[in-house]
Amino acid sequence: MSTFLQACVNGLLMGGFYSLMGMGQNVIFGAMKIVNFCHGEMLMVGMYLTWLLHQNFGLDPYACVPIVAVIMFFLGAVIQFTLITPALETKSFTNLLFLTVGLGLLLSNGALVLFGSEYRTISTSYSMTYINMGPVTMALPRLISFGVLLVVSVALFVFLKYSTVGKQIRAVSQNPVGAEVVGINTKRIYVLTYGLGVALAGVAGALLTGFYTIFPTAGASFGFRALIVVVVGGLGSIPGAFFAGIFLGLLETMVALFVSPSYSDLIVFVTFIVILVVRQLIVIRRK
Amino acid sequence: MDEKKKAVRAYHRNVGIVIGLILLVFLIIPVFVKSPYILNIFVLVFYISTLSMAWNLLGGMTGQNSLGHAAYMGLGAYASCLLITNTGANPWVAAIFGMIVVGLVAGVIFYPCFILRGPYFTLVSIAFGEALRQFIINSSFFGRASGIGLPFGKDSWLDFRFGSKVPYYYVGLVMVILIYLLMKKIERSRMGYALRTIREDEDAAAAMGINPTRYKIMAVVVSAMVAALVGFYYACYIRYIDPELMIQAKSTESVLPAVVGGAAYVEGPLVGGLLMIPLSEFLRAKYSAMLPGINMLLYAIVLLIVIRFRPSGILGWYMHSRVKTFIDTKILRKPSVEILEEVEFSVSHGRKEA
Repeated sequence: MSTFLQACVNGLLMGGFYSLMGMGQNVIFGAMKIVNFCHGEMLMVGMYLTWLLHQNFGLDPYACVPIVAVIMFFLGAVIQFTLITPALETKSFTNLLFLTVGLGLLLSNGALVLFGSEYRTISTSYSMTYINMGPVTMALPRLISFGVLLVVSVALFVFLKYSTVGKQIRAVSQNPVGAEVVGINTKRIYVLTYGLGVALAGVAGALLTGFYTIFPTAGASFGFRALIVVVVGGLGSIPGAFFAGIFLGLLETMVALFVSPSYSDLIVFVTFIVILVVRQLIVIRRK
Repeated sequence: MDEKKKAVRAYHRNVGIVIGLILLVFLIIPVFVKSPYILNIFVLVFYISTLSMAWNLLGGMTGQNSLGHAAYMGLGAYASCLLITNTGANPWVAAIFGMIVVGLVAGVIFYPCFILRGPYFTLVSIAFGEALRQFIINSSFFGRASGIGLPFGKDSWLDFRFGSKVPYYYVGLVMVILIYLLMKKIERSRMGYALRTIREDEDAAAAMGINPTRYKIMAVVVSAMVAALVGFYYACYIRYIDPELMIQAKSTESVLPAVVGGAAYVEGPLVGGLLMIPLSEFLRAKYSAMLPGINMLLYAIVLLIVIRFRPSGILGWYMHSRVKTFIDTKILRKPSVEILEEVEFSVSHGRKEA
């Protein structure tokens, strides 16, 4: 029983990251209908930024979160402005796809060139602290990270629901032409959206550094799981993405516990294929 | 009329001479180039370009952007290697076996995924490839993560096993040419037109009486079988395979030549491969000790520049450039389109009357 509870908690704590990544991907996919294939690499960039800030200025990883978010926001905005918006105008899905794939290659190999392939970690005074709650043990950094990402998720939800910019983003997601008609500058919204999505990935990266190793391809598995979260949680739905992420985290740990840890990736991918196909079948049936 | 016919004939002859010269250059390269390093680069160009052509049939021509082709290639390599090591079958038979297995997997197991479109198809292709890889990692029959080696021994054509790289060079060259001719044939056939119609608008294609699912399955099966052939070639060349062969980065790598060269053209992957792979290998050999990843970094930069400024790839640029006009008029002496069509019409017309 205690192993089960422990697995649940581990799944929950990991699932939070999938949620956060999925929300970023969801905002981007919702507004522009493009899959951001470099989302995982953005997380990795966030991790390296945090590491640099920690190394050079001695900042605590959690103190880096807002700084990383701002830097990543501008990085995303610049990428959107210089590369993705012009490509959106060509209306070629293939080009958009390989644009983000190419960006991913650029970032991961850029990190490899700049930082080498060594695994890096950030150790803080509390990184080895564990908290016992009944039968369950939790590492303190994981717990803090989960708390922060809960706050970020709620803030994002409130922002999209009630702020003017958030409403504009949702309007563009639903109907870009209609949004143009009522006077929303869609290009500006695209820049803000991509910046926001990338900033969320960066925040996820910064929060991970407390207990995760930093290396150039660290983001790959998170990037793909973010896509799963978007598809499972439903387009444009922030709560959906949140719960889909938690579900994914729990699924992984449950498979690892009851079947075998080496099968967890296989089951995740097969589940994803089944969900994709069944979802599409339902869509066709409804028509 | 006779003069026009002569002009057209001269043009066809000139094109033939140019193609013949290119072929001749490739045929005699191993006679003069003895360095295994250079020959290895050519072998890489051959098989990555072939894989890229396989991708292009599905991605460029049909508009179904798969990012899981490395999985088909890996599965083909595994199927043929397992047949060779377990039954001692002849490798050439194993190649056909591998292609059939992969064709079946692509046509039958992948079948339900055809209802997905656009980004969802790309997602499912990634997930499918990754699921295949995870399956192989977890299966002791496939040798788990440690991979499979092919037996070593004396050089022989029957076993497709050589110490020197020259035979691999020629087999690779033949493979590229055959697959190119196949793709050209498909492009000009009824299937090619159907596939391009599906790329432009699937619903419109269906309304016109083209069955999109049927043609998409045909495209994916052919594409996967060619990828399996490449897998077999790779396995016989390297003589060792492991699940790393199927990672998603390899799928991306197989797509890049097509996108850089021009995905709308059958020749795109060949042009992209010939330009990018030697460059990438050169950088890797020269700088990878100091700066690992520099070759892929440059690859990515080229890709981004091409997509940003020449969205239709190098060939797309060439097709509308002055270079092509110059080559066409001055070197090939291409007659005007009207004359070409007139002569072609009279030839086909004359044949009907006779």
